Amino acid sequence: MTERVMRLREQSLNATETITAERAQLITRFYASREAVGLSAPVLRARAFEYLLRNKAICINEGELIVGERGPSPKATPTYPEISLHSMQDLDILDTREKVSFKVDDEVRRIYSEEIIPFWKGRSNRDRIMERMTPEWLAAYKAGIFTEFQEQRAPGHTVLGYKMFHTGFLDLKREIADAVASLDFRKDPLAYERNEELKAMEIACDAIIMYAGRYADALEALAAAEKDDGRRRELEQMAAICRRVPAHAPRTFHEMLQHYWFIHLGVVTELNPWDSFNPGRLDQHLWPVYKEGTESGTLTPEEAYELLGCFWVKFNNHPSPPKIGVTAQESNTYTDFCLINLGGVKPDGSDAVNDMTYILLDVIREMRILQPSSMIQVSRKNPDTFIHRALDIIRTGFGQPSVFNTEAIIQELLRQGKSIVDARNGGASGCVETGAFGTECYWLTGYFNLVKILEVTLNNGFDTRTGVQVGPMTGDPSTFSTFDDLMLAYSEQVNHFADIKIRGNNVIEKTFALHLPVPFLSLLLEDCIANGKDYNAGGARYNTTYIQGVGLGSITDILTSIRYNIYDMQRFTWQEMLTAMKNNFEDAAEMQYEMIYKTPKYGNDDDYADAQAVAVFEIFHDAVTGRPTPRGGIHRINMLPTTSHVYFGSVTGATPDGRKAWVPLSEGISPFQGVDRQGPTAVIKSASKIDHLRTGGTLLNLKFSPEFFEDEESYGKLTALIRSYFSLDGHHMQFNVVSADTLREAQKHPELYRDLIVRVAGYSDYFNDLGEDLQNEIIRRTEHGEL
Amino acid sequence: MKGLIFSVKRYAIHDGPGIRVTFFMKGCPLDCWWCHNPEGKATGQVTTERIDRVGEREFRSEELVGMEYTPEEVLAKVERDRVFMEHSGGGVTFSGGEPLMQPLFLTESLSLLRSAGFHTTVDTSGYAAPDVMRSVMQYTNLFLYDIKLLDPDAHRKFTGVDNRLIISNLDLLLEGGAEVILRIPVIPGVTADREFMEQLRLFIESRRGRRISGISLLPYHKTGISKYRRFGLPDRMESYSQISNGHLDDYMAILQPLGIHVKKGG
Repeated sequence: MTERVMRLREQSLNATETITAERAQLITRFYASREAVGLSAPVLRARAFEYLLRNKAICINEGELIVGERGPSPKATPTYPEISLHSMQDLDILDTREKVSFKVDDEVRRIYSEEIIPFWKGRSNRDRIMERMTPEWLAAYKAGIFTEFQEQRAPGHTVLGYKMFHTGFLDLKREIADAVASLDFRKDPLAYERNEELKAMEIACDAIIMYAGRYADALEALAAAEKDDGRRRELEQMAAICRRVPAHAPRTFHEMLQHYWFIHLGVVTELNPWDSFNPGRLDQHLWPVYKEGTESGTLTPEEAYELLGCFWVKFNNHPSPPKIGVTAQESNTYTDFCLINLGGVKPDGSDAVNDMTYILLDVIREMRILQPSSMIQVSRKNPDTFIHRALDIIRTGFGQPSVFNTEAIIQELLRQGKSIVDARNGGASGCVETGAFGTECYWLTGYFNLVKILEVTLNNGFDTRTGVQVGPMTGDPSTFSTFDDLMLAYSEQVNHFADIKIRGNNVIEKTFALHLPVPFLSLLLEDCIANGKDYNAGGARYNTTYIQGVGLGSITDILTSIRYNIYDMQRFTWQEMLTAMKNNFEDAAEMQYEMIYKTPKYGNDDDYADAQAVAVFEIFHDAVTGRPTPRGGIHRINMLPTTSHVYFGSVTGATPDGRKAWVPLSEGISPFQGVDRQGPTAVIKSASKIDHLRTGGTLLNLKFSPEFFEDEESYGKLTALIRSYFSLDGHHMQFNVVSADTLREAQKHPELYRDLIVRVAGYSDYFNDLGEDLQNEIIRRTEHGEL
Repeated sequence: MKGLIFSVKRYAIHDGPGIRVTFFMKGCPLDCWWCHNPEGKATGQVTTERIDRVGEREFRSEELVGMEYTPEEVLAKVERDRVFMEHSGGGVTFSGGEPLMQPLFLTESLSLLRSAGFHTTVDTSGYAAPDVMRSVMQYTNLFLYDIKLLDPDAHRKFTGVDNRLIISNLDLLLEGGAEVILRIPVIPGVTADREFMEQLRLFIESRRGRRISGISLLPYHKTGISKYRRFGLPDRMESYSQISNGHLDDYMAILQPLGIHVKKGG
């Protein structure tokens, strides 16, 4: 790492997260101005975008080589009042909350109370959405049955594809002109709408070019005043690059990084799409310009490496836009989920791993920062060396890169009707979400609490926490003579809430299409221009709307416990079980013990338990998959929680798997914490019994101690473990390499870490089964081995 | 026919090549001071107390150490992990205890596994009747073979048995063409010295040309302690210390001229 990158990295790590009122004030002034009157929605949004880019502060950090910030300075985070409006109280919470606070100064408070809140109160899209949701939707939402992504952020989940790394905005303007020329106002009743959208897109093209020009001006001014010859030459070169991109297609490595970065800034300034915009298959895009540059002698590997360091820092300078209301208080994640994809296959299906893949792995290892996050796409065509290099980073325990199955991603996309080339150019974004990069608009709409719905089922449709009859009356469970009766009732409830959620989704989708088109983002996704249609209105080649199931491990254990303890073994009666749930296992510790320790569990390759995972998966899949959306898309499922399993646990009472009330649920498709006792092969076998290929992504976490990564031989075995899971169509796995702190936690709370295996000496054992002295020795050893 | 097994480990990665399933079989004719599977020693089932916690409350239950398996059940268990074995070049390992103490069950299981296409490994002390050795050999791809001490008297002192049978069985395997990895416990005050390693080098040198495909030095760790406590057994190694990494490197250097892969740990 060069001294420059070290300094920029330090600056990024040390910068304080603040709220800036800059964007809020600009957007408010624009909306309040005469200019905003009488425009069609897309043109209004394009003019607003242009106004933002014309007036937002220019930020050039000392020594940096890639320019542009979302806010006026690193980690100064803008707000989006047209989407959701922070109250004064929200600002106080953000300022003082324990985890990841955003400092709010008096000036921001003043601007909010005098300008922003008076203008937007009752007029944000969140207000619009909440006003249009049915009482059933609101009741289910409050009960914690589902969350709603678009309530505080705009639809996003979009990754830049191949085309835009080779296209300038002047080229796009020509495409727009062609599209306008081919409009048929006589035969196409939507021609006027298309024309307005295309007009908006053209404004957006000019706006981003103008914005880059402002940077070029500022850089030239800086260069003129610069006394250091070296830096002056850099500034002059950077100015020339900003004159060139994004107006024109990038020709060099440096131009390509700056080109992407302007596009990134455009997307996150226009709105706050859920999950950061993302360069996607970065090794594929950069490799040709890197090769060309190093071969022709215009770029050295050291220069390229330094540029990548500067590029990495830019992502880390951008925390996720802070939330409002309850979520502001609870949310402790502020990463914006930008996920760099490495490896996979080329458009022709051949091995895509190249030198740039390995260079980027080095960057990831050395930068070791939260954002951008990274993943490897593992195809059966990729060499083992590629996986080994990734394991070398994974073993250091910072959770990156995660590991994905290219063949599964491709099959998932093909099943959804994508062409083979679009599928091969795809990957995963956010946490694990499958998408066709550059061609697909795939929205995530909210987490779906599979466990809460069972709780509601056990209470005949009633939610005991909020005191509301949220679901249909599917019967008192003690009248169910068979386990299948319970499953039928559960299925009815799942379908009921899926209906409510989908109805809500369709209304929300329409509000974005009508009120919040995104002409700039639409430029980037293929077919929006040709269709003359906005990204938010179905302009992209492919459109998918996802609902994310949460708590598969928990719901499986709960249903298994009911099947086993009530029906098959007749250990308890329904009455006994329901009473124990109601009393949160008070005076029922014996029962809780039987449920935790003497009942089959998901994650152990036990077909008896895993049958319930498959059954729930099928119910959820059938309730959602295939339902159409207003923008011409299809509803589908994926299985990932981010951190919602904590929130969903906090609204769900005690459950028949022995879990006490308000405790977090299982995450992703991983087993509930500590219940898998047969090692990683058994977890993988359980997790692969559901059909991953009918999802848009699943998330599996595996916990390992660092000793499993000790040498090449163990890398070989982990590689085989990965390839085995992927041959069973597993979508994703993440290695959670435990730290000494985790081991100390496990000493304190052994019941939560029953699955924790550590290498002892020539063999492995469950950490819990070791004596305290030996545990301490392993903790010391782990600490010693940690980087 | 049934075998008595005290533990089955999946994702076993130190008991032979690739990802394996290891069956730890009950019963052992030896009585090594440093044994870290003392629960495997007795031939019958034993019970131990298991303590589980729910919040502040402890629940005690009797747990049986030793489960009966038929060879068909062994095969069924192994089949569950076939995919991992095929991707890693792994297979099945029988360890213990001493697997050769249950020769009929072992031979039958190995034969079934082999016909189902699995790689088989037997981890043994070598202390068994030569006939047993011969019948097991035909279904075994790899032996992990312990050489604990070379001096018969010292061997008797620390393991309870003479080592001559063990050495002649080793030669029986080697002459029969079996592949063997030698496992050497490095015990402070017992085998952890240069002199023993020199002797060992000569011992192996004299078997040059046979299929000794590796040597594993297994450093003594105080890992069994908690088990000794749990099973209420005396720990004779109490006054012994652990091996330092530096010493281990010395010993490896002594053995390296053999041209056989030497490694630390399993």
